[in-house]
Amino acid sequence: MIEIRNLSGTVGEFCLQNINLSVRDGEYLVLLGPTGAGKTVLIEYLVGIYRQQEGAILVDGEDVTPLYTEERHIAYVPQDYALFPNLNVSRNIAYGLEARRFPRAEISRITEQMLESLGIGHLRHRMPLNLSGGEKQRVALGRALATRPRLVLLDEPLSALDENLRTQMSRELRDLQQSNRATFVHVCHNFEEASAVADRIAIMDNGCLVQVGTLEQVKAQPRNEFVARFLKTQNLFPAVADGATVRIHGIQLEKKSTIRGERVMAIRPENIRIHPDTESGRPNLFRGVILEAVPRPHFMEYIVDIGLKLAVFHIGERRYRVGDSLGIELPQEHIALVERA
Amino acid sequence: MSGERNPLAAIGPAAPGRRGAPGDRLLFKTFFYSFAGFLILFSAYLFLANLDQLFVTEAAVRSREPALWEENRKVLTSFAGGFWQDPYFWKSLNLTLMITLITTLLASAIGIPAAYGLSRYRIPGKAVIEVLFSSILVIPASSVALCLIVMFNYGPLWDLQQRWGFRFAHSLFPGMVIASFVLSFALGLSAWKAAFDSVNPRFEQVARSLGSSRWRAFRTVSLPMAKSGLAAGVILAWTRAMAEFSAVLFFCGTFGELPPERFSTLERALRIDQADWLSVAIWAQIEYGNVEYGFALAYILVLIGGLSVYAMHRIGAKGYIW
Repeated sequence: MIEIRNLSGTVGEFCLQNINLSVRDGEYLVLLGPTGAGKTVLIEYLVGIYRQQEGAILVDGEDVTPLYTEERHIAYVPQDYALFPNLNVSRNIAYGLEARRFPRAEISRITEQMLESLGIGHLRHRMPLNLSGGEKQRVALGRALATRPRLVLLDEPLSALDENLRTQMSRELRDLQQSNRATFVHVCHNFEEASAVADRIAIMDNGCLVQVGTLEQVKAQPRNEFVARFLKTQNLFPAVADGATVRIHGIQLEKKSTIRGERVMAIRPENIRIHPDTESGRPNLFRGVILEAVPRPHFMEYIVDIGLKLAVFHIGERRYRVGDSLGIELPQEHIALVERA
Repeated sequence: MSGERNPLAAIGPAAPGRRGAPGDRLLFKTFFYSFAGFLILFSAYLFLANLDQLFVTEAAVRSREPALWEENRKVLTSFAGGFWQDPYFWKSLNLTLMITLITTLLASAIGIPAAYGLSRYRIPGKAVIEVLFSSILVIPASSVALCLIVMFNYGPLWDLQQRWGFRFAHSLFPGMVIASFVLSFALGLSAWKAAFDSVNPRFEQVARSLGSSRWRAFRTVSLPMAKSGLAAGVILAWTRAMAEFSAVLFFCGTFGELPPERFSTLERALRIDQADWLSVAIWAQIEYGNVEYGFALAYILVLIGGLSVYAMHRIGAKGYIW
């Protein structure tokens, strides 16, 4: 169990403010946020490259703040993997075991096991310069996992890979984490990448931790407009709530909640339902006209005017054309009222 | 994760090696061989232009410079002044190699850790140190020597020497080491710092996160990665020390006429009881009128310097593919 308590500190232009976060054993947590949010600085504090000005980092109840990097037993895989160019693949993987003075026989056994489990046995004598991006990543992961660290920190591990490889490697990362029962903290700024691997996500902005939760929780109830936008909730409108309804530019929606006053109404495009005809009696059902129809790989994206311009994702055989009139339902349970950013 | 589940193994060709670009090598070779060719032709021209010197009779020489051509100087009428037969040349070479070796070892021992510190840590006055040593590279060596004379002949350093009953300035052994050290250290430091700067500190951070101590991370990661640059820096320091002329001349004086009692027992035991090292010997021989002798010495220095630079280039161009 990793616990970060009230961590604050400044590194160059980056400033972290009062970070509180816990990571359970065997959990895959993704730190998500835009560039400059302070994600990398946070993992650099965790690994011990910098010392925080305030707060504590606890690993299994032990305060590791006063410990040197090598004493924390937290493995770190930077964005460029930082494979040692003077050592071959096998020696790279064995590096941590040698540093921690494992017996020689044990070093050989674990290195072989890692090479085989990562499917890179044939690369054992290769130098890092002669590896492809995916191979480098596997070696870096093998090196990090070989010593069975208490936590593995991955700084944008997929950013150097092309799109196809990224999808495959994200799956492999997840498999590797589960098969090793390791605790991973993965930094990225890509929502899709996070959704492919994460048990939970922690969203950071401007040096602060904004929201932590499972992907479904955060998507369903973003804490504020920033989180909603970052998770690609395209339909965001200034609204006034009175506990039973929400008013947006003269349109009234039913939404029971305890929230009253000015907020931002958010609804994800995939949660808006399309009805070929307007059915009477359904709440939050409006007649709309399609303004744009954009085919996406697995769905259609429509821009629909119901008095508000809404983005709607539609999966189904039926295709609508620009100018078609149809019923648009905004289900009450998918409407979120969030703070302005 | 089995081999079958990892088709990535087949993805992408092996990254190209990091050997020096062919264009760079061609440029260097063109320059190196043109330079060497020019030297050969120029030296041939000088020897031929002074061919008549080979036929000067001993009597004629004696009559022209009776005092100079006494004792063992008969050989001076032979090819290139017959420098290889002259004990003066061998003692100069001995002195040059001895002082250069000591200077290089000293500069490396101090400079490499200093360069690492300057590259990796926030040190108060770091900018001042860097500007100071960079300035030494661009100002005339004679000015550096004058600064050294003032530094060692006045103030606390002078008092210290008085207490020890010793003088650094105008002394042979420590004087030459100090004068050549300052310049070779300055050049070496910039090369060593550049070598460490080129190694991303991230490698050490990763090594430490894997359990290496600071020293082990340096020894197993930074040092091997910077070794080409460090070796190049050592060669630069060596060539700079060997080529030093005006700083040694200013700080240590002209030694041609030094009486034997100025040499210590150690200096005599090491057979460096001859004060002119090669770069000064060139000047001395030209002053004496032995152009061929002087040119031959210059040629030897150029040859050693050229080979050192070539070795440096070869080492510097080496990648991590082995």
